[in-house]
Amino acid sequence: METTDMAAPLEKREGTNIEQPTLNAEGRLRRWLGVGRWALNVGCFLAVTSVFAGSAIAAEPTTTLTKAQSDFFEQKVRPILETKCYKCHSHSAEKIKGGLVLDSREGGLRGGNTAPAVVPGNVAESLLIKAISYTDPDLEMPPKGEKLSAGQIADLTQWIKMGAPDPRESTAKKYGGAGRAHWAFQKPKLSEIPAVKDELWGQTPIDRFVLAKLEENGMAPNPRADKRTLLRRAYFDVIGLPPTPEQVDAFVKDESPDAFAKVVDELLASPRYGERWGRHWLDVARYADTKGEVRRQQEDPRYPFAWTYRDYVIDAFNKDKPFDRFIIEQIAADRLNLGTDKSALAALGFLTLGNHFNGMVPDIVADRIDLVTKGFLGLTVTCARCHDHKFDPISQKDYYALYGIFSSSYEPDKLPALKPIANTAEYQDYLKKAAEFEVDPKEMRRKLQALRKDPDPTKRRELQREQQRQLRGATDLEINHPGAPARANVLVDSAKPKDSPLFIRGEAKNLGAVVPRSFINVLAGPNDPPYRNGSGRLELARDIASKNNPITARVIVNRVWQEHFGEGFVPTPDDLGNQSEKPSHPELLDYLAVKFMQKGWSLKKLHREIMLSAVYQQSSAVNGKFAVIDPQNRLLWRANLRRLDFEALRDSILAIAGTLDATMGGKPVDLGAEPYVTRRAVYGYVDRRNLSEVMTQFDFANPDSPTGRRHVTIVPQQTLFMMNSPLVAEQARKLVNKDEFVGLTGEEDRVNALFRQIFQRPASRLEMELALQFVAVTPEKDSAPELAGGRRMPPVQRSRLEARMKDSGTPPQLQQRIKQQLQDEQTRHRAPLGAWEKLAQALFETNEASFIN
Amino acid sequence: MNPSEKYACEHCAKTEDFFLTRRQFLHRFGMGFGALSLATVLGGDSLVSGASVMESTHPLRPHAPHFPAKAKAVIHVFAQGAPSHVDTWDPKPELTRMDGQTIPGGIAMGSPFKFQKMGKSGIEVSEVFPELGQHVDDLAVIRSMWTDIPAHDVATVMMNTGSTRLARPSLGSWTVYGLGSENQNLPGFISLRSGGGLPVGGTANWQAAFLPGAFQGTSINTQAGTVAGMIQNIRNQYSSPKEQRRQLDLVQQLNAMHAQNLQKDAALEARLEAYEIAFRMQTEATDAFDLSKEPQSVRDLYGNTPQGKQMLLARRLVERGVRFVQVWAGGWDHHQDLEVRLPEKAKEIDKPLAALLTDLKQRGLLDSTVVIWGGEFGRKPTKDRNGNDNPGRDHNNNAFSTLMAGGGVKGGITYGATDDFGSKAVEDKVHVHDLHATVLRLLGFDHTKLTYRYNGRDFRLTDVSGEVVKGIIA
Repeated sequence: METTDMAAPLEKREGTNIEQPTLNAEGRLRRWLGVGRWALNVGCFLAVTSVFAGSAIAAEPTTTLTKAQSDFFEQKVRPILETKCYKCHSHSAEKIKGGLVLDSREGGLRGGNTAPAVVPGNVAESLLIKAISYTDPDLEMPPKGEKLSAGQIADLTQWIKMGAPDPRESTAKKYGGAGRAHWAFQKPKLSEIPAVKDELWGQTPIDRFVLAKLEENGMAPNPRADKRTLLRRAYFDVIGLPPTPEQVDAFVKDESPDAFAKVVDELLASPRYGERWGRHWLDVARYADTKGEVRRQQEDPRYPFAWTYRDYVIDAFNKDKPFDRFIIEQIAADRLNLGTDKSALAALGFLTLGNHFNGMVPDIVADRIDLVTKGFLGLTVTCARCHDHKFDPISQKDYYALYGIFSSSYEPDKLPALKPIANTAEYQDYLKKAAEFEVDPKEMRRKLQALRKDPDPTKRRELQREQQRQLRGATDLEINHPGAPARANVLVDSAKPKDSPLFIRGEAKNLGAVVPRSFINVLAGPNDPPYRNGSGRLELARDIASKNNPITARVIVNRVWQEHFGEGFVPTPDDLGNQSEKPSHPELLDYLAVKFMQKGWSLKKLHREIMLSAVYQQSSAVNGKFAVIDPQNRLLWRANLRRLDFEALRDSILAIAGTLDATMGGKPVDLGAEPYVTRRAVYGYVDRRNLSEVMTQFDFANPDSPTGRRHVTIVPQQTLFMMNSPLVAEQARKLVNKDEFVGLTGEEDRVNALFRQIFQRPASRLEMELALQFVAVTPEKDSAPELAGGRRMPPVQRSRLEARMKDSGTPPQLQQRIKQQLQDEQTRHRAPLGAWEKLAQALFETNEASFIN
Repeated sequence: MNPSEKYACEHCAKTEDFFLTRRQFLHRFGMGFGALSLATVLGGDSLVSGASVMESTHPLRPHAPHFPAKAKAVIHVFAQGAPSHVDTWDPKPELTRMDGQTIPGGIAMGSPFKFQKMGKSGIEVSEVFPELGQHVDDLAVIRSMWTDIPAHDVATVMMNTGSTRLARPSLGSWTVYGLGSENQNLPGFISLRSGGGLPVGGTANWQAAFLPGAFQGTSINTQAGTVAGMIQNIRNQYSSPKEQRRQLDLVQQLNAMHAQNLQKDAALEARLEAYEIAFRMQTEATDAFDLSKEPQSVRDLYGNTPQGKQMLLARRLVERGVRFVQVWAGGWDHHQDLEVRLPEKAKEIDKPLAALLTDLKQRGLLDSTVVIWGGEFGRKPTKDRNGNDNPGRDHNNNAFSTLMAGGGVKGGITYGATDDFGSKAVEDKVHVHDLHATVLRLLGFDHTKLTYRYNGRDFRLTDVSGEVVKGIIA
């Protein structure tokens, strides 16, 4: 199997001339359908030329056709192709189906994902004929009863017999190709920076690439946004918080040419940057503090030390850890020579903090493969778990090559401490208490196994309960005891790493040939040996983080671009494969990817380059004409209007109220319960199985799969949160009770102070009038009468209920009920808001406070 | 002008709609709020009465469909996870006969469940659905469903939006876009789930995509049971309703000015709408979601279980004029242990769904409500991987069964058929697009004419396909 098509050197492939493959029909059908291509089938070797012949065909000189040949094509063939096939099989198709294009000569010769549709002169071998004649129920085209007429079938058959004469010019495009020829699998190239007509607008390469494309389409970019808008945009983008009024003033006053560059540098140097961008990465890493599905007698459902990974990520962003190093540490920190500082081991939480799928190894491994391939490579490799990928050149063999790597790695029962443990009294106390819960998982399994066949089920249940109690106690201790050392959620290599057999149709009991551990073939070097260093994780990590890998840098550049503009060059950041839209600016994406690698994989340099472009700094003003040509703003003629995500919205309200607690790192906090914790949202507890309702309603990332792009919905529950949640109301109260606000005597000064705090600008004349009038007519005493009053709960009862609610042994539904009861009681005794407090709350509620433009 | 033409025009949204002129803008937003006249300050156009304009521009106002139709609302019970059709609604004696033997695709696994003829129609119903079986004469059992891709996330979103990959509006969004809502105090499209996390596919399952945000589904976690638990922050704790209205007027005035500065944007408008609905929900939802207002006998009929509560809620919402209710009742992914787990799962929904049909019928609502039950695809007739000792079935996009009832659906019939083993739909095949076309037809729409112009093209739910399944329409 080592000598399949993939072993041929690339250079050789490109020079290959078209040959007529001599595969049997079944092999070709499988290839047409994108299945079984690199699987255990015979004949793959022979397919080499057809797979890689795309560029060769395009280079081939078109033979001159006779008039009769041209006429036959134009009169008989082209009309059928155009009316019956192009809808799904042409470059003008909304989505090219099966990777097959028939609007060019070479498209038919190359065929669907890999196999030729048209074999000139050979009807039996031409899949096109097979498909239209409906002889195989799995391959009927056009589909769903739109079968061609007998006459049309006869015409196409005749055409193939004639040698498929085709006068069409090559439509081969630089970008957009099927299968292995797909742009993302080609090395990124530095194109020449294009010339533009308007040479004054922007000076950076980014500007030139974007402007050239706009000019090509008869469009022009917007001028620079006003300074306040720009500053607000930059602050939210980089640190997820608004500027203070003083910061706005300083920037507006600074007329030096590098005023904005200074701001960008300051923001990138702020530790708040890592908290903002670390969270974007945690979305991709499907980060959570709990394990999802677990067998409760074998493990507690909580990760006591997930936060060490979260802190590692924030720190890596703040230190601008080179992204290639960041990749390697997250996949294989345990295999690196870390010296004395072992803190980078925490990086492995990337792999380990997923769902535990009731301990099902194939599912856990699939989750890790999904994460690594979507996260770093922008490829949906897990589609190849049961069959070859339907759209991308990823075989089932590729999947099991990776499977062997991750199934040869495991999480040790005892996790290593992040730092050398100091022998303090607290630590001693922790050890003493931990000894009470000392459980050996293997021993536990053995005991349970022994009772499995016992006719009396109560013994088993008792043992299970006892085991659960011990596990819970041990985890409680690790979470709560101050002497419990922080640990890294590591993965280590097994003593005897093993290649995995291929699971036929994904079935664990239906095993195929053993697949050597190695990288995904389409991205690997031509003669790469299999991985033999331990599990192979370190080799995998290095192959992913390599400059020779065509896709890694593009994937991260696309992600970063998306967070600055609202949409990436490719709108699906976790999938840059054949099913994705073509990049809006392929040359610019390549340019940035190449430069990114050249400049040491530095994210901060990339941010800086993007933010200092005129493209980034333009205003969001709408041009009615361009809005018709490009309503989605794919070509970037304006800045996008963007809704703040959950973290930025919540944190900004706290920051404006002056209550944001800047403490960094450490154990997660409960964001939902009163009295509210005012740490940044990135430090909030994420329960994979029970995400808080507020987070869900504000489109928080799904912790069960890599989320490169959150949904942006607008629903009434979000506005209910703004209108009614005590979090917002109490921050409004705090804002108005700040000393500097209380000290203001003039009413207009007060209104302006609130506007400047919340919108970073003073009120307009009309806004001033509206605000003053609102304050004037708002009664000082107003509360929701039907809710107020009632007997206060005695403090003893309250604390008892609180303890019950927090006890992890309490059933979730009961916890929920108690929580509600406590909240209701509190609700009845809320202090009403005064007029100014209500004004502040109203400003928090506005669209302006929730959007950046 | 015939009604459908008129309608088609009404739904030709143009890009200009998203970038209004100032006058249009004022008409749309600058009225009915607060004491100060925005119009005066912004330029002095005289305005008609705010309330009436607001009424006529409200995106959720009721519309007439293309044709007169019985169905006015939809309850879509989504059996996510893909229920096995050969164990529920598609009996296969030939498969039972071949049990344990090799058939194409693997080892045949006959259904461990018995089927029995029920109702006047004599349709065979699996023993796992004893209660629902009593309603078989109201059901159209489509046995020939098929879809494109046998992966849960993709197929689930496909079933709800008609697209496997691209962001497309969901069936519920299209419905509310087409018909508006009978109740302006609740979202027109509500999605009920039971539990903290979202179903696979997440919010894509009730997305409005490029349709205006007001048509998006509102997802409610019904697990908590209480109104305040289901809809957090539904209670206003700081203001009297009157004062809160005045405060919201100020917010909306500021929003209107902000939107004008930005030359308006669909997202801003959606949020403006969301505030208005949220405000009204404070009273309306408190009533609609309060199950304690139902008599004990009705609550008993549905059963005091998560799915019983969901079904009862669905009825209360439809009764109040909510147009489309999506109910998540998943967990059908039986790769293993099907013999034990499938009946457990069926039991969860059997009584509640039967109760829903009984209750809707008693109230005269069944005629005007389309009820759908089904998953995203079906399962194979063969034994699945990993489960040879206590087997289950693997995914199968070539065959599955979907139930429909009410709203002009012909009851007591089966439609279409799979092959002898149930591995593939072969007769009167119904693709997801066909199902969508049929639901829209029941609601009075020609699915090829319910379109929305976006990005230079008229989009529709069924893309370029979809045939109405006339055989199930009464």
